[in-house]
Amino acid sequence: MSKYILRRLIMTIPTLVVISMIIFVVLRVIPGNIVATMLGGGGGGGGEGVQMVDPAAIQKLMEDLKLDRPLYEQYFHWARGIVTGDLGDSFFRGQKVSEMLRNHGPVTLQISVMAIALSWIVGLPIGILSAARQDSFMDYSTRLFVVLFLAIPSFWLAALIVLFGVLIFEYYPPLFYSHIWDDPGANLAKTTAPAIVIGLGMAAMIARMARSSILEVLREDYVRTAMAKGLASRVVMWRHVIKNALLPVITIAGIMMGFTLGGSVAVEYAFAINGLGVTMLTAIIDKDFNVVQNLVMIYAAAFVLINLLIDLSYAWADPRIRYD
Amino acid sequence: MQTSSAEAVTTITTSGNSLLQTLLRFARNKPLGAIMGTIIVLIVLMSVFAEFVAPYDPLDTAPLMAREPPDRIHWMGYDEVGRDILSRVIFGSRVSLIVGITSVVFGTTIGSIWGLASGYLGGKFDLVTQRAVEVWMSFPSLVLALSLLVVLGAGLHTVIIAVAFTRVPYGVRVIRSVAIAVKEFMYVDAARSVGSSELRVMMRHVLPNCVAPFLIILTAHIGTAIVVEASLGFLGIGIPPPTASWGNMLGSAVGQAINPHWWRIIYPGLAIVITVLSFNIFGDAIRDVLDPRLRGSEAQ
Repeated sequence: MSKYILRRLIMTIPTLVVISMIIFVVLRVIPGNIVATMLGGGGGGGGEGVQMVDPAAIQKLMEDLKLDRPLYEQYFHWARGIVTGDLGDSFFRGQKVSEMLRNHGPVTLQISVMAIALSWIVGLPIGILSAARQDSFMDYSTRLFVVLFLAIPSFWLAALIVLFGVLIFEYYPPLFYSHIWDDPGANLAKTTAPAIVIGLGMAAMIARMARSSILEVLREDYVRTAMAKGLASRVVMWRHVIKNALLPVITIAGIMMGFTLGGSVAVEYAFAINGLGVTMLTAIIDKDFNVVQNLVMIYAAAFVLINLLIDLSYAWADPRIRYD
Repeated sequence: MQTSSAEAVTTITTSGNSLLQTLLRFARNKPLGAIMGTIIVLIVLMSVFAEFVAPYDPLDTAPLMAREPPDRIHWMGYDEVGRDILSRVIFGSRVSLIVGITSVVFGTTIGSIWGLASGYLGGKFDLVTQRAVEVWMSFPSLVLALSLLVVLGAGLHTVIIAVAFTRVPYGVRVIRSVAIAVKEFMYVDAARSVGSSELRVMMRHVLPNCVAPFLIILTAHIGTAIVVEASLGFLGIGIPPPTASWGNMLGSAVGQAINPHWWRIIYPGLAIVITVLSFNIFGDAIRDVLDPRLRGSEAQ
């Protein structure tokens, strides 16, 4: 097992390197002169903005930001920064990227963890119940829940919660994020609603996958054998069905975690939470390369890491994979 | 989930049946799917004939009526510059449908051709491009589309390209698995042994088997594409104003913390939910019909 883990760990390194190169190159083809924008020349469209700004000032800023160096040199500078933990500065905000991570990271991380936990706690049991009692009332309600939540955009649900909170309960969530150890009440008031919104969307996916996967396993011959030899149906369910049905559910849950990260952008925006998602959105609109490339890299690395964990849990659940 | 489509080797057998008969059979077997299909047709008609359906010009402003709640003449109220929300919801369907449908057709087609080649040819090409697809899928769709829009600039065409780009890897994955399954079939060996070229085998014998899964991915992803487009609009980087899109209508309505305008949030959102719901359920019905192996294993 440890050999397998090691091999998988080593395999993530080239993936991360390729991702970092793609991010870097894609961001460098953005049209519009970033430096001209920074000096207030309008920029954006390129051309005319550049001419209005003093060329010497542009040259100076380009040198300061190391944008005049060849691309490969800029890339290695960034890559070295990632390894040594120095992520550089924001072009616009005079802030270190690592400082932005410290300020905006915790709230996003907390919401994601709460959402993921919620999605499993809600999604898995209703998926199992719905499959075990196919075509019952429970099953129909589950299917309705799934179909609805796959169609409701999370940001709209978020907007509705904010709207009804204000209209009906005259409730306004706290303006700022406070750490859970400083002020648990205010912290949960800020994070619970977004976690529910993101979590329920994922729960729908997990329930759907669990249901169809269990129904498929229920038709297997070995389940019929287990039934035929007189095992209680509960024992068959736990020992033979759920264990085998769980693998595809784990996969989908992993993919969903990537969606949490993406979905957090719109949900944070709707709840006016100043987390990593909103930080990334502002940075993308400002064309603040250095912040964008680092944040996108963090999102991608998180996803790669989650996939690694999924693969490892596969190997744990299914011994055949280890000996491949 | 994806490999299951590999067994989807049924081609659509409409031979000997008129289109009407096929439709009637579909309606009998999948009543809910047929209802949703009808709703889709109605939404499409509404968007095509928006000029005739909408009671007002969606761009006409009435500054004095700005932010007024719904009344008897303007059922959905007014937006921040006094435009009629009902008319903007009707016109907004154009953006959602155009982006949703074209981006999925575009992205899935490219992905399917790639997946067909990758699965059928195998070898190094398959190995390298599959790593690329994994990396591609590792980016959340919204983040990917967002970053691309900054590179391409906002506009209808660029939104379509950005959303299409996020759909490509799904086409690759599914069609590749179909191609891998099909190329082991006897008739493929037979075709090759009588001297057909690789290209001919791919086009004449493998491709037809990909039609059903292709249609399944197509219908399954239109809903997602509409949500991605709406999210972009909501974040203020989709279709630029004053063009009405459901996403940008919602985006301009939130952020009003004190005394929020419920009519500006509820109606565009409902439009999104109804449309996406229709496409999703219709897509499920299409999948059940085209892929018999999956029939009955999921929500009917």
